[in-house]
Amino acid sequence: MLTLLSIIFIAALLAPFVHRLCPKYTGAILVTAPIAMVIWLLKKIPEVGHGHPVTESFQWVEKLDLELAFHLDGLSLLFALLISGIGSLIVLYTQGYFKGHPQQGRFMMYIIAFMASMLGVVLADHLLLVFIFWELTSFTSYLLIGFNHNSPDARNAALQAMLVTVLGGLFLMAGIIMLAGAADTWRLSEIIQRGDVLLAHKNYLPILILVCIGAFTKSAQFPFHFWLPNAMQAPTPASAYLHSSTMVKAGVYLLARLHPALGSSEEWTLILTTIGTITFLLGAIMALGQKVLKRLLAYTTVSALGAMIMLLGVGTSYTIKAMATFILAHAFYKAALFLIAGGITHETGGETSVDKLGGLRKAMPISFACAILAGLSMGGFPPFFGFVAKETWLHALDHYPLLVGATVIGGAAYVLVGFAVGFKPFLGKMPAELHAHEIPLSMRFGPIVLGLCCLAFSFFTGSIGHNLVQPAATAIVAKELEVHLHLWAGFNKAFVISLITLMIGIGLYCSRSFLVATAGRLGVLVKFGPDAAYQFLLNGVLKFAAWHTRVLQTGILRDYIRVTVLTTVALVGAALVRAGGFQRWENLAPVSIRIALVAILMISATFATVHSKSRLRSILSMGVVGFCMAILFTFFGAPDLAMTQLVIETLTVILLVLAFHHFPPFRHGSKKRTRATDIIIAASVGITISLLVLAALHVQTPTPVSDFYLEHSYKEAHGRNVVNVILVDFRALDTLGEITVLTIAALGAYALMKLKPKKEEGGE
Amino acid sequence: MTLLPSLPITIPLAGAVLCMLFRRNIRAQKGIALFTSFLILLTSLTIFASTKDGTIAVMNVGDWPAPFGITLAIDMLSSVMLLLVGLLAVGVSAYACFDLDEPRMKFGFFPLMLILLMGVNGAFVTGDLFNLYVWFEVLLTASFILLALGGERAQLAGSIKYVTLNLLSSALFLAGIGILYGMAGTLNLADLAHLVKDGARGDLLTMVAIMFMMAFGIKAGMFPLYFWLPASYPTPPAAVTALFSGLLTKVGAYSMIRMFTLVFDSDPEFLHGLILVGAGLTMLSGVLAATAQYEMRKILAVHIVSQIGYILMGLGLFTELALTGSIIYLAHVIIVKTNLFLVAGAVNRLKGTYDLKKLGGLYSERPGLSLLFIISAMSLAGVPPLSGFFAKITLIIAGIQIESWAIVVVALGVSLLTLYSMTKIWAYVFWKPAPEPLPDLDPMPKGQWFVFLLPMVGYTVISIAIGVFAGPVFDYASEAAAQLMNPQAYIDAVLGGV
Amino acid sequence: MEVVLAIVIGFLYGGGLYLMMRRNLIQLIIGLGLLSHGANLLIFTAGGLRKGGAPILADGEKVFSTIPADPLPQALILTSIVISFAVTAFALVLFLRTYQTVGTDDVDELKETETE
Repeated sequence: MLTLLSIIFIAALLAPFVHRLCPKYTGAILVTAPIAMVIWLLKKIPEVGHGHPVTESFQWVEKLDLELAFHLDGLSLLFALLISGIGSLIVLYTQGYFKGHPQQGRFMMYIIAFMASMLGVVLADHLLLVFIFWELTSFTSYLLIGFNHNSPDARNAALQAMLVTVLGGLFLMAGIIMLAGAADTWRLSEIIQRGDVLLAHKNYLPILILVCIGAFTKSAQFPFHFWLPNAMQAPTPASAYLHSSTMVKAGVYLLARLHPALGSSEEWTLILTTIGTITFLLGAIMALGQKVLKRLLAYTTVSALGAMIMLLGVGTSYTIKAMATFILAHAFYKAALFLIAGGITHETGGETSVDKLGGLRKAMPISFACAILAGLSMGGFPPFFGFVAKETWLHALDHYPLLVGATVIGGAAYVLVGFAVGFKPFLGKMPAELHAHEIPLSMRFGPIVLGLCCLAFSFFTGSIGHNLVQPAATAIVAKELEVHLHLWAGFNKAFVISLITLMIGIGLYCSRSFLVATAGRLGVLVKFGPDAAYQFLLNGVLKFAAWHTRVLQTGILRDYIRVTVLTTVALVGAALVRAGGFQRWENLAPVSIRIALVAILMISATFATVHSKSRLRSILSMGVVGFCMAILFTFFGAPDLAMTQLVIETLTVILLVLAFHHFPPFRHGSKKRTRATDIIIAASVGITISLLVLAALHVQTPTPVSDFYLEHSYKEAHGRNVVNVILVDFRALDTLGEITVLTIAALGAYALMKLKPKKEEGGE
Repeated sequence: MTLLPSLPITIPLAGAVLCMLFRRNIRAQKGIALFTSFLILLTSLTIFASTKDGTIAVMNVGDWPAPFGITLAIDMLSSVMLLLVGLLAVGVSAYACFDLDEPRMKFGFFPLMLILLMGVNGAFVTGDLFNLYVWFEVLLTASFILLALGGERAQLAGSIKYVTLNLLSSALFLAGIGILYGMAGTLNLADLAHLVKDGARGDLLTMVAIMFMMAFGIKAGMFPLYFWLPASYPTPPAAVTALFSGLLTKVGAYSMIRMFTLVFDSDPEFLHGLILVGAGLTMLSGVLAATAQYEMRKILAVHIVSQIGYILMGLGLFTELALTGSIIYLAHVIIVKTNLFLVAGAVNRLKGTYDLKKLGGLYSERPGLSLLFIISAMSLAGVPPLSGFFAKITLIIAGIQIESWAIVVVALGVSLLTLYSMTKIWAYVFWKPAPEPLPDLDPMPKGQWFVFLLPMVGYTVISIAIGVFAGPVFDYASEAAAQLMNPQAYIDAVLGGV
Repeated sequence: MEVVLAIVIGFLYGGGLYLMMRRNLIQLIIGLGLLSHGANLLIFTAGGLRKGGAPILADGEKVFSTIPADPLPQALILTSIVISFAVTAFALVLFLRTYQTVGTDDVDELKETETE
């Protein structure tokens, strides 16, 4: 599996180069990779069907227990087949759709990379690996939705889709890490055997909620559904692929996969059924009033995803069988309709509105034929596969009258959309301004194959049920079950309801102009929808960020110093409180008078420095402080230090005195209040530092290092002045650094004085 | 005894001296700088090879036994930092040779860059507290000058804040050193760890630790001490910012990790708890500040703060896995961030501006550059399987393991905002058509363009490689983290088991 | 006497910071100067004041007969004095250039990077 996946990834990477070398056959060449996958998967059907999953594992990050582990069972197989099968058709379709487009190679790259990522999601057996691929699908879909990057709508839609799905991804990330922690393994195949442990675990509910949010954002469940219709900004091949048949089903897949692990609780049923049903109905109702081809399809997709979650939430083996069947049926008709819609728009020079289309049957007969098949399947007309799925579904919901009611409403909406997309553009009179051609050969494969599947699958229900649906359903419920699909299950309750649904649907279609007008009037409601909430939230974050930055980054250095200093004082204070204050205060040497005098002089000089209004006096007072330090150094046996201090202080004062003439006199006084605050801040630092020093003095410690110096500096380093020996021998590296600093400071000062920007020299 | 541990200091110094000798000859300086950078990389690779089994390379400068002389000690963390410096040196000097204006080269860009590298390397190899201060001053002084070199208004205004706040940091650092010396009578880090563990006064130690936390916090760009960074980083040329972003704050973060694993590990509940809170606020505040910007270079610069938050998060959580995450994050962010700055520099070179609102259309015009950007940007945002993903997820797992929920929530939220900022740059600079046509200022011939992009290609490949070969990377980082969590080996290696 | 010196150190740090919080570039640099004085005195004090002689061997002696002052803090301070001087001198030039280029010595007005 890894090999095949890698081949598809490599095909993606090569796509731009293949396109450059032979632009006409890019699709034909690249499609071989997914087709290889399809063939391999088909060959594995019998084996997997008999309950022997194919597994594979390679070490990746040992310390993180991350393995490239893959696991192909019935559920994975169903999804993988859809992904690679429809993917192959999409690649071919893209060839015609983007004929002559300069960035066709890039599109191929993105969509094939997406395909590989999506396959990764459904094949991976390691939770982290699932997540990795999951994120990759978000990222590739960002590039795909924003493919028409010159359009601001496309860019915004891409961003929205990515932010929503990645936000969900973050919840999912937290969820799976907790899930792995609770189950004590990252392997999905092991986790699903530990349902009991998980159900009893204290983190069960958080895990369930986190995973659900992840899945719901990806699968466009209410209230995160809004990104999906907006994502219709993507080029049609991407919409057909990502937003109908694959990526949006990743959430459904994940929940189905985890059903044995998390699915046996009331919370599961409650959350999934509620959200699923709401989404199902909301999508269906929203679809009724749409005018644009792709948006009609998008809303029904939202609805269909809701239906899948709903069926999964109910969680009986019947509903799960129905769900698996519906996934299959939906993938075919929805992808086909998308591709046909794309073909119509493509061949009519960009027309997207249903109501401006008509009479295309002559110009586009092949498309029309396919559209009939797909549209009727979507509506659930016999003998199409959509009908089979709907029958199974209604049958499964036998004991849930409310959900049956919902299904009738939803199903009716599907009829309307099936007609509006499948028939409306082809029938009636062709508007005069419309010019159309049949889609080119490469774009025909998709609609034809998918359209035929919509019909043909109905006649092989036994085999399909046994080979595809049964293994998938078995994997979801994690116990043996038999699936028998029937095209004709007899004249029963389900069939009656199905007929009623069709009737209502046709009725709705006839009153479509009224529905569209009503929807137009209700458009104001959008302001209160989740899409608006998203905008509000995003703007809120941006506003908050701007406010935060304005408040914190005032640009005024003094504020920064204040914050820094206050933080220091506060934290040291906190540490002091934590320590319960200083413990000992003894051991102080008596104060001698001369030191007291020097100290008083220093303090006064400091005051003078701070307080003086004259620059010169301020500088000189600072010099006095420095000279006092030199005196202190001599008192305590540091003559070298005193000498250096004297020299350096003198130099500093001279420099400052020389420089200050170039500056204007002090003139920017602060307000009294500011000064008072600053005095308090400065005083708090002073006190903190003083206290720290005092506290440090009480720790009587030996000075092993200095003792060593005193003993060895003459004996081994041959120097009588120990301080000098330390500088040039014991700690020579410090001195090297010191000299470096001195040198480059000189170099820097020189460069700074000499090198001026050009503008300035020009007399700015 | 081998001289190997001192080479990371002496080689750049020698290069700098040579550059200064050839003051007037820019071509010679370029050659010397490139050659020296390669030598630095080579040395660091050699050191890396010799310490990757967990050996701690120790050298007593001047043959004075520890703790009496200055000891250089290279453990796995130091070693990987040196390697990153080497990688950065080569790429940035190559880029600078191409991109930097001549006056700046004439006035000592290359020697200053090499001295900066010397200071950074010194900080990574030294095992002595005061010596660490000296290296800090070396790299700071070099960075002061590099920042101001050129003397443009914004540069100077930014430099003042940078210089002042960093000198404040130095004053706090010195105060900490003085008190610690007063308590322990030694400056050798291993010796300090030893003595501190023998039961010196814990309350005082915690307070001193705060002084160090502040000193390093300012240098690392921790909240609320980071304000010098957005003021100064976006002002110098791209090569300088790239160098700074890769190294300066990271030296602060490194020192924090070193001190708070080796010396100040006596009160993790308070100290590391504080670091964790700081980390959360840092990542949040940094990302918000970046979100508010509309200038490519500023977004990237302010984002550095946010990433420092992630690095400190590992230290704050203070488990082996968390530190592993920090180390991977350090490596990842140094490479990726530098690369993003280089890409930004390339954009500026082409279009003459960093302004998101004026730029546009590069996706169609420069697919290669776009690819380099998007890979690095997504890596920064933590999109798998790039380097950033593994760094992020390791930290998240570590957080969840010890049920530190608040930081996990913050870290996840911040990563979403990071993604937002990165896609903002992408959408504005690359996807959006230029509002007014911007002709290329410097239409380089194809071959030259490729050479220009070479360092960026290299860094992009490294970022991908960290992801693809996450296994060995992770092994290394967790070994390094284990060394940090069990400092006895370091202490023994330095003090010879005294 | 340590108490006295501790208080002096506190004053130096406090005074230095107060000056740094003024709006004037010259005051900023003087403040930095006071701060580094404070730091040096702190090392000196915290390193242990010993009223011994200088740590210099008299001619003819091979060992110290009485314990002299601790030489290590002295060495550290020497290094730090020189470094602060270098940095202060550079800062002075930087401030001067800034004043000439930007045309103000008011620190509050140097905020173009943030507010632009």
